[in-house]
Amino acid sequence: MITVTNFSKQYKGFTAVKDLSFSVEPGQILGLLGPNGAGKTTTLRALCGIIPPTSGRLMIAGHDIAEAPIAAKQNIGYIPDDPRLFDTMTVWEHLAFTAAAYKVTDFEKCAEALLNSFELTHKRDTLVHNLSRGMRQKVAIACAFLHDPKVILFDEPLTGLDPQGIRGIKQAIRERAQAGAAIIISSHLLSLFEDLCTHIMVLNLGECRLFGTMDYVLSEFGQTDNNSALEEAYFTITQKEEMGQA
Amino acid sequence: MDQALFRLLMMRLRGGFRLRLIQLTSLRGLLFFLAFFGIIWLLVVTNSSSSDMGSMSNAALDRQALSAQISTFMPISMLAMSLLTVALTTGPTFHFSPAEINFLYTGPFRRRDLIIYKFGAYVAGATLSSALIAIFAQGQTGSALSAFIASLLTIIFVQLNSAVIVMTAQTLEGSRLSRIRYPVIALLLAVAAACMLYAWATPDRNLFDLLSAFRHSWIGTIILIPYIVFAELFVSSSLPNMAVWACIALLINIALLRAAIVLDARTTDRALSENARQSNRWERVKQGGSYWATQRAEVHSIRRSLVWGGLGPIAWRQALNVARDSLKVVVVFVGIAACAGPLVAAVGIPFTDPRVLTIVYTFFGFILPRTLVCDFRGDLSRMEVYKTLPIAPWRICAGQLVVQVLVTYVIALSLIVSVTVFEKGFVTSGALVFAAFALPLTVLIYTVENTIHLLFPKKLVPMGRADFEFLGRSLVEFIAKTIVVLAAGAASAAVGFATLTTFRTSLVLPALASWITLTLIVLLTLVMMQYAFRRFAVAETVD
Repeated sequence: MITVTNFSKQYKGFTAVKDLSFSVEPGQILGLLGPNGAGKTTTLRALCGIIPPTSGRLMIAGHDIAEAPIAAKQNIGYIPDDPRLFDTMTVWEHLAFTAAAYKVTDFEKCAEALLNSFELTHKRDTLVHNLSRGMRQKVAIACAFLHDPKVILFDEPLTGLDPQGIRGIKQAIRERAQAGAAIIISSHLLSLFEDLCTHIMVLNLGECRLFGTMDYVLSEFGQTDNNSALEEAYFTITQKEEMGQA
Repeated sequence: MDQALFRLLMMRLRGGFRLRLIQLTSLRGLLFFLAFFGIIWLLVVTNSSSSDMGSMSNAALDRQALSAQISTFMPISMLAMSLLTVALTTGPTFHFSPAEINFLYTGPFRRRDLIIYKFGAYVAGATLSSALIAIFAQGQTGSALSAFIASLLTIIFVQLNSAVIVMTAQTLEGSRLSRIRYPVIALLLAVAAACMLYAWATPDRNLFDLLSAFRHSWIGTIILIPYIVFAELFVSSSLPNMAVWACIALLINIALLRAAIVLDARTTDRALSENARQSNRWERVKQGGSYWATQRAEVHSIRRSLVWGGLGPIAWRQALNVARDSLKVVVVFVGIAACAGPLVAAVGIPFTDPRVLTIVYTFFGFILPRTLVCDFRGDLSRMEVYKTLPIAPWRICAGQLVVQVLVTYVIALSLIVSVTVFEKGFVTSGALVFAAFALPLTVLIYTVENTIHLLFPKKLVPMGRADFEFLGRSLVEFIAKTIVVLAAGAASAAVGFATLTTFRTSLVLPALASWITLTLIVLLTLVMMQYAFRRFAVAETVD
């Protein structure tokens, strides 16, 4: 569903991502892990067509995002780390806008269900600039789910959410994966990956340091007295890198 | 003023100065800075050389005539501004930013000290504005120093006067006196409308004659007394004379500052909520929203969006933006456009006069695009959303322009209809030509405006009063836009002229050829805009 081959991205001489290759199949949840500036957000933004790749191929549901962007984007749902909603529109109007943009004809029933599942029903006529950070995040997720995308990309999905909201979003992600969506999550919350992800990729300085199934990571790094396997893997890889640089 | 607050003020001034220096260290900042001062210098040189070209006696006569106009109309304009402040009951009181509220409101400072601190910050900004105004006004006052003092005292008066009016209105809120506000405003508007109608209906008297008669009547002099002081500052013929008026102006400003401090004690709660509202508004303006956006939390949702092959949702989003963010601005602009006809007729200058056309172009090419923003320019922080949509870039670009162009076109049509109705001798066929060409010209202005913003994204509001980079860039943009519009107009006119000389028919065919040429140029610029949208790099910071 998602196939990335030799993807690189450079900004004015600075290499944000270097020669990245991986694939995510339907039903899989890939967790992107790495310190700040590792290239996680750049990878997600390139996958959803916000920024063009410098080199490499990014295939979404069989469409190259650079060559057939419209067809590829029709299959993507993207939730950025800081959702920029339209101030002058209500929650419902965001869903109506998304439905028109993605050509979803009878969207009302699905929209109602999404509002209900994210506990936004009572906020349907609220202008979004009056919503809290967490509520805005929920609106962005509801919009991303409306057209039933085959590929869902989450950048820090739990920021600003209350415990109830976190549980709801986690459940929604599991359900989408079970329904056959290929999902990528970028986050700093290791516990989120342990709860949800089937695969893990550790990025550092724009390069892939580790890619494999969750089971592989757990068996490779094991669990220490104080740290989880993922935490152990993360610090082992990134600290080794820092020491190497020093 | 409290020592700590004084120190904070000095540090902020130094910080502002440092920021300007940092701007100058970048090539772009330096170029825009030079562009801004280059244009100012050109204006000053043109102004002085044109006055040098005339004889000395002519220059003296010009100065006398200008003095008479300042003396007559400046107090009336200042009164109008005060009345507008009363009507809106919002405006520049003493605005504290959220950071200032967090640090200073909780600090060991008296309200009086905070007001003086804020006033000090305002005076610092006004000093800079006055220095700029003095460059142009020195020809009138005789020296740069007198022009500077006159400008500074007047700017401070305008701020304090507005603050005191708003604070007084807030103090009187809920009392019986506040109930008469709207009837009084309605009465004043009726008087203004009656005066305009009278001027229009009377052939030998125009609106300015009526205003002049009011200013020089005894009742006019009494009403305008505080404002006359500031007009006299600009027209004083000698230094002692100016010193006297400056002292009176200073006393008025001190009295107003004192009144502001007294009134502030009675409006503290209201001031806090106003500050929060103001801060939210500015935050929204920085994000591309409108200052006049709706304050409501909930509205009736529109159930479905337009589709129109992908162009619809974008246009629909901008239509909602105008309806909820800028409707008041649109109504005001339509009102201004509708008043243009009676005003032009009352003044007695034909609409086709180059001076009037220049004002109209400046309005549509500069003032309107800066005030009414419902296209890409207001959405630079949301480009991520547009980039992820499965909609072809040209449809997104066209969708962004639809509402902005339609709203501007409605304003332009109001102007044309108003002029057609009120100006004697302005024929309907002329109005139809204006109406036909106004549409592609409007599209052209906004396509160029958006293309520039997509290629060189920038903030919508300046960083403080002395953001010369912002000012320079705005002027350069306006000039670039004017060059494109003039070039397109010239090409269109050339085709029309060629058609006329080739076919020697009536004017309909050449006009049609011109219109088609202009429309084709507009389509070409739309292709440019689409290119700019495609190459827009979201990841790079919008400064």
